[in-house]
Amino acid sequence: MEKNYHVCTGCGLLCDDIEVESEKNIINKVYTACRVGVAHMKEGKEEAIFRVDNKPVNEETAISEAASILKNAKNPLIFGLGTSTSETHKLAIELARKTNATLDDTSSFCLGSLVEALIHNKIKTCTLDDVRNKADVIIFWGADPSDSHPRHLSKYSYFPRGSEKQRGWEEERTAIAIDIRKSHTAKICGNYFFQIPPGGDTEFIDALIAGLSGKLPKTSYNYPPKKILELANILKGAKFGIVFAGLGLIYSLENLEPLFRLMKALNEKANFHLVPMVGHYNMRGFNENLFAETGYVNSVKFENDIVKHGPEYSIVESLKAKTVDAALIIGSDPLSSLPRSIAKNLFEIPVISMDPCETLTSRNAKVYINTAISGVEAGGTATRMDGTKVSFKPVVETNHPSDEAILKKIMEAL
Amino acid sequence: MDFGSFLTVPEIKVKVVTYRDIFQDKAMIENRFGEEYRDRSAVIKLDPADLKQLSVKKGDTVILKNSFGRVVVRAEESGYETSHRGIAYMPNSPWSNILVSDETGGTGVPKFKDISVTVTSAKGEKVTEPGF
Repeated sequence: MEKNYHVCTGCGLLCDDIEVESEKNIINKVYTACRVGVAHMKEGKEEAIFRVDNKPVNEETAISEAASILKNAKNPLIFGLGTSTSETHKLAIELARKTNATLDDTSSFCLGSLVEALIHNKIKTCTLDDVRNKADVIIFWGADPSDSHPRHLSKYSYFPRGSEKQRGWEEERTAIAIDIRKSHTAKICGNYFFQIPPGGDTEFIDALIAGLSGKLPKTSYNYPPKKILELANILKGAKFGIVFAGLGLIYSLENLEPLFRLMKALNEKANFHLVPMVGHYNMRGFNENLFAETGYVNSVKFENDIVKHGPEYSIVESLKAKTVDAALIIGSDPLSSLPRSIAKNLFEIPVISMDPCETLTSRNAKVYINTAISGVEAGGTATRMDGTKVSFKPVVETNHPSDEAILKKIMEAL
Repeated sequence: MDFGSFLTVPEIKVKVVTYRDIFQDKAMIENRFGEEYRDRSAVIKLDPADLKQLSVKKGDTVILKNSFGRVVVRAEESGYETSHRGIAYMPNSPWSNILVSDETGGTGVPKFKDISVTVTSAKGEKVTEPGF
């Protein structure tokens, strides 16, 4: 019997083996997905909601109000899009050009710099399928996929049999965790958990590089040199090594230079790749799509066909400096996810929130448009955390408009 | 002897590291304004010795404070075998974000995983509502 598999857009893994049972466009059962994925697939609500000033309105009124906010703004901020399709990204970029907007996504304060380095081929990378089929040494650095990407270890990185790894994790794979706390993933790594102090990553990298070339590894926090040398020996023997770099690592580094040094040293002795632990299902896609259009992965400002770029055009800095005078937030909740000391500045400007669910941002927005859940109620394409393109169709039909449809209408209204 | 132990209400300074939690993520997707999400988010995980110094029992509420904000959350034992006095853990959430510094050095990247706070017993005060 041919099965109808769906893609889960619950995280950057974009698992493509999901089965569901649905009745009258309500998903009742979800098979194969993780706990987060099941909740995500069943997230659908019945009626679409549109609000202006917290009063229910029809779609037309919400769109015309949104368009008038963007029209009247000198420098609107368009932000979010990590949980939108690539088709939506292209429209958002066009809208940003049209309205001379500042355009940014969450990658400016998480893994954007790493995705940019991969786009520029500064680090050797591979796909998750390569990892499943070939990887023998797997490093989770400042990453805890058991919580953030629950099927990462079982579908790709550690537990599965792969075409060149038929004896699996029991005999053929070594999983290593380098972290400041014993996460659930670190527990799975057993004796190969290397606990370092907060902020100790750069020193650990340099000690490891020293260990790789047979020198005595030293750290100011006196990490046992013997343990670092043991780790270096395992890494040297890797036929197909992979570093999964998480936010814990990236937040601890002042810039990516230590990581470039490490990858160079690892590839002088062995064969190592790196994949960023992208959280939102299409953050990497946004970085790629914006790069294709502008040469930058995030934090841009359009000004009469000129594209400016820099941290001053990130959501954090533009809200801090109060340089933006309106905000269109697509599938994101900055009032929850940004430091409150910065997010509170959103109260001083008109905010349009497009989101499938109620959030602090949607509840405090001037205009709220309740959109379809991308990947469950609307289809399109996205880029998985490893750069693989994935297409998906809607799982159920909905009366909620997709963010793509709403952006088209806003542009028409402009 | 720690100065904190001489105060009527013991106060300690801790560095908070935020992390992701699958159960909390699932609760967030189901309802960001629900009880389960609040229960799984408004939590600080401390070293047992730090809890003892605060004269706080597991499950009691504590006040976390710094110059950026103040929140009341539940205190729990971290359960980690290795001692980590002075370092505490919180799931990444609106509660932890109330305490994150706005200092970014112009980089656009706040220090979400590096938060300094003082902790005191909340003496039964209820967990902070995340709204504005």
